Parts: sequence; C-alpha cells; structure tokens
Amino acid sequence: MALVPLSYNLRSLAVRWSATLLTVFGIGATVAVLAGVLALQQGFETLFTESGREDVVVFLRQGSTNEGDSVFTLERSQILTKGLDEAELGADGQPLIAGEMYLAVRRFKIDGGETNVPIRGVSQRSFDIYGDGVRMVDGRRLTGGADEVVVGSKLVERIRDCQIGATLLLNTTPFQVVGVFESDGPFSSEIWGDRDRIGEALERPIMNRVVAILKPGTDIEALKARMDEDPQVPSKVMTEKEYLTSQTEALSFVLRGLGFFLAVVMGTAAVFTATNTMLAALSSRTYEIGILLAIGYRPYSIFLSFLFEALVLGLAGGAVGCLLALPLNGVDTGAMNFQTFTEVAFAFRVTPQVMVTAVVFALILGLVGGTWPALRAASMRPTEAMRRA
Amino acid sequence: MVPLRLVSKNLLKHKLRFVLTVLSLAVAIFLLCVLRSLVVALNAGVADAAANRVIVQSKVSLFVLMPQSYGPKLAQVNGVEALVRWNWFGGYYKEQANFFAQFATDPKELFDVYPEIYLVEGTKEDFLANQKSCLIGAETAAKYGFEIGDTVPIISPLYPKSDGGAWDYQVAGLYRSKKKSLDENTLFFHYDYLEKSLEEGVAMGPKDVGIFVLRIAPGAQPVDVMSEVDAMFENGPQAVQATSESEFQAQFVSMVGNVPLLVSSIGGGVMIAILLAVLNTMLMSAREQTRDIGVLKALGFTDGSVFGILILQAFVLCGLGGALGILLAKLTEPSVVASIGSMFPGYQVTGPTILEAVAATVAIGFLAGIAPALRARSLTVINALRAVR
Repeated sequence: MALVPLSYNLRSLAVRWSATLLTVFGIGATVAVLAGVLALQQGFETLFTESGREDVVVFLRQGSTNEGDSVFTLERSQILTKGLDEAELGADGQPLIAGEMYLAVRRFKIDGGETNVPIRGVSQRSFDIYGDGVRMVDGRRLTGGADEVVVGSKLVERIRDCQIGATLLLNTTPFQVVGVFESDGPFSSEIWGDRDRIGEALERPIMNRVVAILKPGTDIEALKARMDEDPQVPSKVMTEKEYLTSQTEALSFVLRGLGFFLAVVMGTAAVFTATNTMLAALSSRTYEIGILLAIGYRPYSIFLSFLFEALVLGLAGGAVGCLLALPLNGVDTGAMNFQTFTEVAFAFRVTPQVMVTAVVFALILGLVGGTWPALRAASMRPTEAMRRA
Repeated sequence: MVPLRLVSKNLLKHKLRFVLTVLSLAVAIFLLCVLRSLVVALNAGVADAAANRVIVQSKVSLFVLMPQSYGPKLAQVNGVEALVRWNWFGGYYKEQANFFAQFATDPKELFDVYPEIYLVEGTKEDFLANQKSCLIGAETAAKYGFEIGDTVPIISPLYPKSDGGAWDYQVAGLYRSKKKSLDENTLFFHYDYLEKSLEEGVAMGPKDVGIFVLRIAPGAQPVDVMSEVDAMFENGPQAVQATSESEFQAQFVSMVGNVPLLVSSIGGGVMIAILLAVLNTMLMSAREQTRDIGVLKALGFTDGSVFGILILQAFVLCGLGGALGILLAKLTEPSVVASIGSMFPGYQVTGPTILEAVAATVAIGFLAGIAPALRARSLTVINALRAVR
C-alpha cells in the first residue's frame, strides 16, 4: 500500500505557517507548564535522595516520621551512642556515632517574610561521620563549646543574619556566624552549631536523632529488627537514604498530583486546539484530499498522513515546550518540606526524564487531537471532496 | 450597524470547531479560577483575622513551647479580657495519610475568644461537661463519617500513649466558623485531659503550651498589650513574640514559600496557551470569511460594521467559554473542598476571583479578536473578493 509522501504534510504545515506556529506554541506553553512542575519535583527529590548514604543509619524514636517529631532523652542517646557494636570505628578508635539536636527556628528572609530554618546541634563526631558530605567553603570550622554557628551555603543569600560575622540570636543567647559549609543534600539549608551550647540556649536538653556509620557488611535488616524491640532504647532505624527519601513523600505527592491535574486539564484544552487546527486544515484542503483519493491513495494512507501531520505538530510543540522550560534548569527556588515544616532551597532540574515525559505528553496531545480529523479525512469520497471545493 | 444574525451564523458554520474552542476556553478559565482560589484560600486567614486577638508564641520557633506559668502572668496584663491555650497535637486517625489538625485547648475559653465558632450538631454543654469529648469540623466529620457520640481514635507521635495505643475522643459536637480566621477542619479537645494524662503517666510528651491567644478588651490597644508581653519575657526562660492575628496568619503564608509565585506562573502559562489557541481559531475563521467580507463591503456595509462582526464573534466565543469555565469552577467547589480542603482550608471561588476571570476572558476575547477584525476593516472589496482560500 502506498503512503502519502511525508513531504506533502510538512509542506502543508509550512504553507499554513501562522496557524502551525500558533498551534505549536499553544501546545508548547502547555508542555512547558507541565515540564516546569516536574522539574520542580525532580529538583526537590534529587536533593534528598541522591545525597543519602547507604552506610549511614539514622535512629529515630519509634513512631516518629522525622527528626522534628523524634526525641531521645540525653540518657537514652548516651546509651545508644555508647552501646552500638555495629558502629564503625573512626581514626581515633572511637565508634562513629553521634546524637544530634534538631529544631526548626523562625528566621526572617532577606527579601521579607518569615520562614522556618532547621538548626542542628552537632558535635565534632557528626562532621567525622559526614566526611566529604559537608565541606567548609568559607570562614572556619566550629569550635567545640563556643557560642558559634556555621551556616549552609544556601542560606547566605536568603536568610538574615546568616553571613560570616553576623550575630544570630537564639532565644536570649547571641551566636557568632563563623563559617559557611556546602553539602549536596538538604544540609545546605541548615544552621549548625555546638549541640551543648544550642541545647542550653534553647532550653532543650534532648537529642532528636542519632546517626552512625555501620561497619561494612552489617546486616541492616537485623539491626532494624533488634532496635525495634530494644528494651532500653527502642528506636526506628533507617539508612540515611531511606530517611531522606521518606522526607520527600509529602511534597512529591503534592507536586505529582498538581502535575497530573494540570496535564489532564490543560491537555484537554490543548487537544481541542490541535483538533481545531487539523479540522481547519482539513476544510481548506478538501480538494487536495479528493485528488489524493482520485489518484489512488487508499483511505488508510490518508488517515496515516493526517495523523502524521498532527504528530509533527505535537512533536514541535513538545520541543518548544522543552526549550521554554530549559532556562529553568539550575534556577534556585525554595519549597516547604511538609514533614518538618522547614524551607529547603534547591534548584529546578530539567532532567532527561522530564524532557522525555514532556515530549511524550506532547505527542499524545497531537495523536488524540489528530485522530478525529484524520478519520474524517479518510472517510471522504473523491468525487464529493473535489466537488465541495 | 452590526448584523447580529451574521455573527451567530458565522460562529456556527463549523459547529464542532466552535464547540471545541468554547470548551478549551472553558477549561482554561476553570483552571485560572481554581488556581486563583487556592491562593485566595492561603490568604483567607489573613483577610479575616480579628483585630482584637493577640497571639503569643515562642520567639524562637513554632515548635518551641512556653511554660504553663506564662498563662496566669499573661492574664494579668492590662487590657487582656480572656485567654485560651492551644497545643498542636500532630496526630492522625488510624493511618498517617488521614491527616487533619488536632489541638488541645480550653473548651470554655475557646468559645469566649472565638465568637465565630458555632455548632451545627451536638451541644456546647455536652462538650464542656465531658473531659474526654471533642469538637470536630463539620467537613472533616463528613469526610471520615464521624457522628455525634462516636469515639475517634487518634495516634500522636508527639504525645505517645504509654501503652502504645491511640487517644480516644468522643465526638460531642460538629462545628463551623462564620469566618475564615478559624479553620473548619480541626479537632478540638480538652487541654485538661491532655494535662491529666501526662501527669498520670498515661502518656508522654511536653507539658508546656504551644500558643496563647489573648482577647483584648474594647478600648485597649493591642499594640500596647503586645509590647508589654514581649518585654515581660524578654530575658527568658523562653522569649516570646506577641503578634496580631493577621500577622500570625501571614507568617504561615510566608512559610509556605513560593506557592503563590508557582501558581501565578502556571496561570500565566495557561493564559498564553489559551490565547494562542483562540487567536488561531479567530484567524482561521477570519481567513475563511475573507470572501464574505468582500461581499458585505460590496453590499455597502461599512468598515466599522465589518470590524464589529469580527470582534463580536471573538467576544461571544470567549464570553461563552468564560461563563462555562466560571460555572464549572463554582460547581466543582465542593469536590475540591472534599479532596484538598485540609491543605487549603477556606477554599472558595469568591466574587473577586470571578471578576478576575471575567477580566481575563474579556482580555483574551479582545486580543484574539482585534487582529482579524483590523485586517477585515482594512480589506478592500477587490482584494477580498479575489482572495483564494
């Protein structure tokens, strides 16, 4: 069976360039919105999941879902940090395990408004555990026992009093900002200080979580089961990767839901538009269709030909949409981590996955929008079609 | 003079195309209404805040509580008429996905400080009399099927029961609020019950208070009360921040971060996509009408009436689409409330939103209609009649 040459469709699109352009940009705008929402979700999710390590474990109080909820008394955290045989030993021969305090504190944004910034009370042990995961990029490290803090690099430009030399007031105690650190994960939106000093300033003599590096080959599942029933400090154990992934669930769910809702609603509108364009193309080309049929092309070929034209519109729309969304890549934004109610800074990520989704979505729009007009074209009778013009 | 019959005849010439254009417009305007309403819902608490209420919270963090001893001291402040304690309970019903807010509060004072609350079922007396009872927002009750007399089990990671079980509350009333300043999706229970359980060791958790809400006497200045309260606890043990209710609500809006910006960007994308689509339709139909325009002009219709015909077509098309979209947004209001009402309390397609949608519709109609209409006005008879489709 002979197919209508594809160049026929391409040239038809070129001849009706204004309608083609408007349709392509219409689909493009729809696709760009979807791609933008997906890029936001990807950026947020990558920040959390890709920085999580498999050999680091997080201990939370049973029943809690995040470190904001979780509480260990100092006594319990001591028992944990002293008695975990699975913990890897550091260069100093001591186990790599540390209690950390965590609290979302109210801070003012530089460009106005309030937000919640996580403050983490740490000891030198935490730095040993995270190693290269936390790198000083400016100023100096924390001095143990001093009223000092170091701030994550993403805070410097966004949050007031988070610049080297500034004084950060916590409850009634002033803390000096002495350094800036960088991290690939959500730590870069946090303030870190000496846990004893911060605990005292905030009147919070507690730990919120315990982190540890496990000896290679440790059976994590066995550890989880044991700690779940531990008589002294029953706790919930997760790898850092599992923990961070669980933190993205709420926002990812919202963003995915929003993306899906927009895809359906805006997609419907875009399909109508595509159908319209194709119908208009059809009515002005009735005569041509008559000729194609008269010289022997089968209705099936006509159907495929018009469907192809719609797909080209979709593909071009998808490409335009991706191009429109691409400048978003790397743009910093902030979003609320609903689990801890704190704001995390991250960048939009227009990943290949986002682009593929966008293009596939655009092709589906073209396909669905083109089917009915293509069917109509295929069902024309040559004599009528030529006469109607 | 504009021949109106011609407007409708032209529009209905291609019925399917007409319907599809109207529908895609309807979808876009619907989406604009929904997005706008989400932003309005976010800000509803700010707009409806009472001027005679002052919120006292920790200066450090939303998650830091204040000592019970602050209560009697605050009650002594000049101009304070009544005071109610609120404690975030952070629990869930059966599963974590079933989330709605729960607060421990002072039952009698709740009604004193929040006159906008009223019961749609059950009685205030029953609620006051039974320490284990609760009030639930009517919407939330409907969502989960709670009825008067039911026992609602709530598990709270912040206040775990010693036996690991759930807290049981008997539903004494279903409430609504006359204003958006009070969330309609909350469970309120007796503060005394929480306190008693903690004292008896039935449950664990902090005994301190989340926020105090003060009602200011008529004639007293809220600003004076606020500065007196702030000064009173300036040196700890927990520094506090007293704010007006509208500031308190605005603080939450600010914490949610870039949501309004995100929503506006999406709205912008939708507007552009739909403008292109309608413009496309209008240009296509104008091109097809070129010959008709020539005939009309030859018959003696003025440039003005030809212009009028085309611009009216655009307005009628957009008007229908816009009206349908607004109607759709209004009709889906209850189902939006049912699905995401707990995240966007007070979701409502308000009058101002509808006005904005009307303005957007008119703008699209004008922008889409003006180019073809201008072209038709300036066409000469001879060129129009000579035009090939």
